[in-house]
Amino acid sequence: MLRTVLGKTLWEQRRAIAGWAIGLFAAGAMYAPFYPSIRENAATFDKYLESMPEFFREAFLGRTGDFTSPAGYLNTELFSFFAPLLFLLFAIGAGAKAIAGEEERQTLDILLAAPIPRRRVVVHKFLAMLAGGAVLGAFLWLAVPLTGPPFDLRVDLGNLTAAVVMCYLLAMAFGAIALAVGAATGRRGLAIGVTGGIAAGSWLVDLLAPSAPLTEWLQYLSPMHYYLDAEPMLRGLGVAGSLVLAGIALAGFLAALVLFERRDLAA
Amino acid sequence: MAEVIRTEGLTKSYGPRRGVVDLTFSVAPGEVFGYLGPNGAGKTTTIRTLLDLIRPTSGRAFVFGLDSHRDAVRIHARVGYLPGEFSLYDHMTGAEYLAYLASLRGGVSAERIAELADRLDVDLSAKIRTLSHGNRQKIGLIQAFMHRPELLVLDEPTQGLDPLIQHEFYRLIEETRADGRTVFLSSHVMPEVERVCDRVGIIREGRLVAVEDIGDLRAKELRTLEIHFAAPVPASAFDGVPGVREVEAGGDAVRVTVAGPMDAVIKRIAAFEVVDLTSHEPSLEEIFLTFYGKGEGGGD
Repeated sequence: MLRTVLGKTLWEQRRAIAGWAIGLFAAGAMYAPFYPSIRENAATFDKYLESMPEFFREAFLGRTGDFTSPAGYLNTELFSFFAPLLFLLFAIGAGAKAIAGEEERQTLDILLAAPIPRRRVVVHKFLAMLAGGAVLGAFLWLAVPLTGPPFDLRVDLGNLTAAVVMCYLLAMAFGAIALAVGAATGRRGLAIGVTGGIAAGSWLVDLLAPSAPLTEWLQYLSPMHYYLDAEPMLRGLGVAGSLVLAGIALAGFLAALVLFERRDLAA
Repeated sequence: MAEVIRTEGLTKSYGPRRGVVDLTFSVAPGEVFGYLGPNGAGKTTTIRTLLDLIRPTSGRAFVFGLDSHRDAVRIHARVGYLPGEFSLYDHMTGAEYLAYLASLRGGVSAERIAELADRLDVDLSAKIRTLSHGNRQKIGLIQAFMHRPELLVLDEPTQGLDPLIQHEFYRLIEETRADGRTVFLSSHVMPEVERVCDRVGIIREGRLVAVEDIGDLRAKELRTLEIHFAAPVPASAFDGVPGVREVEAGGDAVRVTVAGPMDAVIKRIAAFEVVDLTSHEPSLEEIFLTFYGKGEGGGD
């Protein structure tokens, strides 16, 4: 494991990745026991939801308003908030730590005095984040078919895969932004703060912009929009949205490469 | 190859009172070069520029004739580097850490690592977080020496080492010199430089104020005479005496610092009644202070 920057990074994050993976499995599992009661009271729920202002419904229950079918339930409860939140926390932490963490802890000077180009360190750190995220995604996916059926929570596995993939792409997009900010500044706290701020702002913009005709277009500036609007749990993989998210991840990665290459490193 | 290190007008500007200005010097193959100056003088800035961790504002640096920035990776393959301030990965053992760095360098024999650990007396099986500062410094030294680099760049290498281990470190430097390899070593500790270096560059407030042969420095033959006279003698009694650099008079005791032949000053002293006279050869530190003046550096 300790032969490359990638292997070493994954090795040192093995416990953290295991912890997050268990967290995402638990997130994927914890809604199942409540599903039977939701389904039994579907009519009441639907009526109640009808009575809510559209704004609230969109904010907390997803776009389609389908809350009581198995897929709608998971879309609303798991994939509209909690799973992306956990996934983002992992990815932003990993991205911010990748370069800036080493620089702040003063381990970077010796590493970069080895005969490896700076860009290789960025590439390996990015790959480690992608790989760690993939483990999280796999555990999130597994939780649904493993824990749902006893509670009659059965969903289309293709759509489940699409939802997990898009959630993963969303997280990697923000992780790559954190990587770039960290690589450009060498400051881990700043990278977490800036990226977390962009994520929160992007969620709010996606939420609020559509409510007025004048600001509607703003939602397209929000990375979050391309995930939340697609509702892959109900409609399968949103190809355009996925491409946008992957594009953001790639842009963040390339920015990290260029910015890190040019910079004076903190002693 | 003519020079292992060469800088041409190397300048690194940060704000006021920091960085280095217009450094031009070179280090020859097989030489142990001491880079001496107070903390904050610019030693670390110079070294980190050679390693391409920071980039010059103007001027250039060459290592093995290669550009320090453009050819950084090729240079790093042939250099061992110990930073002045560094951390190791706390959750690893010393052995794991060194194995990681060794594989990034394309491999180092386990025997070589074990031999260095044995000589520096450090336990590589312990987690780094449990190690003292001195033991971490030893692991830092091992990673710099383990691949037998052609050039060692060491920033304040003996800080935190106990005297026995310092002695072993000096032996490592001697062996490196005997192999014909080159050492660039920064220090603010004069006796260390005096002991291990062939040549010394003195840096103050970001400027290289002198590059001297250790032997030439000694040949400047600076002496301090402490004379006790029977009656008070004013400092002005030594005005105009050839070779006198500094006079401190306090009552009947006088301290005179002399460069070069002693004849004139002895004859002047003889004009008064002398109770006691002691002479001592000053340390290099005093030589520097005499030749290059006292100066306080800023923060590092």
